[in-house]
Amino acid sequence: MSHRSYLFPISILLLGLSLLLNLSLGSVWIPFGEILSGLISGDWAKTSWEQIILNYRLPKALVAIFAGIGLSLSGLQMQTFFRNPLAGPFVLGISSGAGLGVAILMLAGSALGFALSGINSWAIATAGILGAGLVLSGVSLVAWRVKDSMTLLIVGLMFGSAVSAVVSILSFFSGAEALKLYTVWSMGSLGALGWTQVSILGILIAIGSLPVFLSIKSYNALLLGENYARSMGIRTGQMRWVMILSTGILAGGITAFCGPIAFLGIAVPHLARMVWKSSDHRILFPGSALMGAILLLLCDAVGQLPGLASTLPINAVTSLVGAPLVISLILKRNFSKDF
Amino acid sequence: MSPRPHVPILKGKDLQLGYLKNGKRREVLSRLDFELFVGEMTCLLGPNGVGKSTLIKAILGQIQPWEGSLMLEGKPISSFSPENLARKMAVVLTEPIFPGNMTVRELVALGRIPYTGWMGKLTDEDKNVVEKAIELTKIAYLKDERLSEISDGQRQKAMIARAIAQDADLIILDEPTAHLDLVNRFEIMTLLRDIAIEQKKAVLVVTHDLEIAIETADRFWLLTCGNPLQSGSPEDLILSGEINQLLPSKRIQFSPKRGRMEIRESFEDIFISGPEDWVYWVRKGLSKAGIQAVQDKILVQVDPFRITLGDKTFQKVEELISDLKST
Repeated sequence: MSHRSYLFPISILLLGLSLLLNLSLGSVWIPFGEILSGLISGDWAKTSWEQIILNYRLPKALVAIFAGIGLSLSGLQMQTFFRNPLAGPFVLGISSGAGLGVAILMLAGSALGFALSGINSWAIATAGILGAGLVLSGVSLVAWRVKDSMTLLIVGLMFGSAVSAVVSILSFFSGAEALKLYTVWSMGSLGALGWTQVSILGILIAIGSLPVFLSIKSYNALLLGENYARSMGIRTGQMRWVMILSTGILAGGITAFCGPIAFLGIAVPHLARMVWKSSDHRILFPGSALMGAILLLLCDAVGQLPGLASTLPINAVTSLVGAPLVISLILKRNFSKDF
Repeated sequence: MSPRPHVPILKGKDLQLGYLKNGKRREVLSRLDFELFVGEMTCLLGPNGVGKSTLIKAILGQIQPWEGSLMLEGKPISSFSPENLARKMAVVLTEPIFPGNMTVRELVALGRIPYTGWMGKLTDEDKNVVEKAIELTKIAYLKDERLSEISDGQRQKAMIARAIAQDADLIILDEPTAHLDLVNRFEIMTLLRDIAIEQKKAVLVVTHDLEIAIETADRFWLLTCGNPLQSGSPEDLILSGEINQLLPSKRIQFSPKRGRMEIRESFEDIFISGPEDWVYWVRKGLSKAGIQAVQDKILVQVDPFRITLGDKTFQKVEELISDLKST
């Protein structure tokens, strides 16, 4: 427990730096000092800077932090629960489930020939969470019956492809405008949210993270598998629902608001294990949360480099960063050995 | 040494166990009667598929008995909450699950989970119990090693230490010596025996290691197809011949003399004279080579070792066999 706890202040410092970097980069470069003094005192050197920071970059950075925390926490929970290093919101179809919910909301009206009015942020979030919960319940029902994690992965992938097939059918029949709306959503974006949506997302992340931190002990017991956990007095049936509910709210909510964000959920828990050299969830949960926030802030910053007029879709950036990362993790060391 | 207490902690009466398949009851075990005593090491022996795992699951409270009663400290197992049951009973299972990043000390500390708060923070007392469990299992030198970096035998000891740290009166181990080498098997079984006696715990071990079990167990439970569970001291079961229940085949038999299973040999047509122990091994070699009959008498001499057959002498059993085969 005591070893490597000095890494927490360092990562908090890194989080602050990444936040500043994220805020300063964009079509206009704003110096660190100006951002700090502006945020603290409320006096900005230029009113345009105030506009840019307060109305655009700060909400986006907060969304990056929230999404980074939420995706990493749901990935870590699933990896521990399923005892599978490749588990994560994407692989087990939760994100595609959220996508299905949103697709039904955005496309079904158009496909069935009537317009759904009032697609607001609440409706999108609800649809995403419901879709994620639906797919995750399906996967867990299967997980209940089969104990083999390989089977579970295949089932998750199958659920994912079935869901994308449904989305394809919906897209095929829907109108151009609705389709564009959905396509843009599916590329992922941290920036399209106003302060209301940001606070909704913040509340969702808080609600979804609460059961995680309340179940730290149970997750530590689950490191030895469900049977051992049960023998140590952990109610594993109850834990399964805690996990489903928490990852459904976290991954579902984030995907609903920001679109799919790949790889973060799988890669960050592994990074945290490597950096902190621990499997104790008292370290891994806060560690993954910090690391996820830092990584997503940096990925967003990469997509915003000065000189580029528009920003890269965040999903593309995280995939470009995440895929080589996961490959190098697999090549570098025995994945399951450190797990 | 003071006489050991003889208190049954676990009692099964007229127990019937099974599972449901396609809505139908499949009976696995029936009419089981047994008692498990504190301060004793009990070994559960029986062939694969006879229902040992089912019995263990029932004791762990994971499946409910269809009939009969299963009492822990006089109360039905099902009446315990998961938390309370965890304080009475600890297990070491067969499934090999090891988080590689975890240290041995962290693993042993997991045993305190039934006693800690929601964060799993250890009190000073918890830490003492953990240290004591580590000492008892003699793995203090491994405390800070990671599970991915120690051997199978060392990991098994760490798992046993975790079970001890759970501070339960009953410890159940499902094949704790599978996949281990001979020395480790002996070490682990004697360690378990020491724990049962010195820590006043009831230790139930499922094992296939008959010879080591004979050396270490206070009590055997024999579970064989179609027979009621036989309980008794290994010595009594050997002397009464009941131990042969484990061996349905006529070819293999328990040799009370050597304390182990042996292939029954038909050596009526081979005459070997000499010191008994030496004759035994020469006979075994011939039997394994499939030699049924030898015309002449074989004479075994010691110091120096020589085998004489007619006018030929051999230095090795191997030479004798190749000679017999060539003629």
